[in-house]
Amino acid sequence: MQRIPVSSKKPVGILIAVLCVGAATAFGIHVSHEDSAHPSSDSGIIDAEVVHIASVVGGRLKELNVSVNQHVHKGDVLYRIDPEPYELTLRQARANLDLASAEVENQTRLLSVKTSNAATAGDQVSRAQTNRDLAARTVERLQPLAGKSYIPWQQYDQARVALHDAEISLAQSRIQSTAATTAIGDLKSSIAARDASQAAYDRVRYELRQTTIIAPADGYVTSLRVKVGEVLAPSQSLFTLIADNEWYAMANIREGDLDAVGIGDCVTVHSMIDRNTPIRGHVESIGWGVLSVDSSGIARSLPLVPRQMDWVHVAQRFPVRIQLEKANPLLLRLGATATVEVRHGAACP
Amino acid sequence: MTGGCTLRGAPAFPIMGAYFPGWMACALIGVATAVGLRVLFLLTGLDALLNFRLFTYVALGVIAALTVWTLVFGP
Repeated sequence: MQRIPVSSKKPVGILIAVLCVGAATAFGIHVSHEDSAHPSSDSGIIDAEVVHIASVVGGRLKELNVSVNQHVHKGDVLYRIDPEPYELTLRQARANLDLASAEVENQTRLLSVKTSNAATAGDQVSRAQTNRDLAARTVERLQPLAGKSYIPWQQYDQARVALHDAEISLAQSRIQSTAATTAIGDLKSSIAARDASQAAYDRVRYELRQTTIIAPADGYVTSLRVKVGEVLAPSQSLFTLIADNEWYAMANIREGDLDAVGIGDCVTVHSMIDRNTPIRGHVESIGWGVLSVDSSGIARSLPLVPRQMDWVHVAQRFPVRIQLEKANPLLLRLGATATVEVRHGAACP
Repeated sequence: MTGGCTLRGAPAFPIMGAYFPGWMACALIGVATAVGLRVLFLLTGLDALLNFRLFTYVALGVIAALTVWTLVFGP
């Protein structure tokens, strides 16, 4: 039986072994460097923006124009809530507004009457002034005559009483004139009441308009499970609209590779709905924060620091948002698995 | 790099509803290559020339796996 030595010293064999191990090590370092310089992820998801469709007013669902999974365009009427309660409230608000407007006209007429009264009172003042001046002149003329007894003292006395009366009348008419001017007032309160009614009317008209819900964007109707007749509370979401004008891929990239991800970099995305069709995209943004176990805890409380002796720490990953360029709509479903290759792959030559 | 064009696709393979990463396929190819080369070298008598056979075949397998990765998934 021939014995084969385990480590026979053959120079050619040693050379081949050294060459192979050296080549494998160098190649491995090169590939590791390339992989780090061109980050990729196979746990991305296809993402889009959604709108939770709801009306700010409540009521009974009267008309439903969409069905689940249907595509709608911006401006399409999605559903209507029974407008009758809001129409009735609108009539009430209209009547209140008319009432307030009529009150403004009424107050305008009253104002004109009061203004005339004030003018009359002013005329009375000038008349009393004239009478008082006449009485004063009479007293002035009679005084020397009465002093020399050319006229009876009684006549002079009467003239002085008449002057006193005229002065009192003048003072009274002045007070009345001031009162009449003060009583004129203005239209401020009635105009404010009319403005309040107008605002209430506009508010109800807005609510009436909100009973018709139109699509805020192009998209797909999802999570619609009710039929006409459902009573909706204000702001209750009826279904979710997936906006389909912009699609994104979200991929978590390890923090150590983020320096190789630049905003605007070309990205190859494969939706796993069809793994052979590359979708071109570009990096739109990189997430600025993720919740970590070490940073959780109640605010204003003390930091939560677990006692541990971990020597190996798994790299944190941050979500990178990739905006997709035009792609087959059949490949784009929110939540679909996606692979993401930054700055390489089939779509980035 | 052009040789891998026909193989281009997502760097993950669906098997029975689960996605396996591309590097796993490369590792399997590397193991298969190492075994295949061992059989080939034994048949052709090249094996007798070698020394440190374990390291040599592992290195050859690694080179094969990395080559496939570079061609198919590399930048």
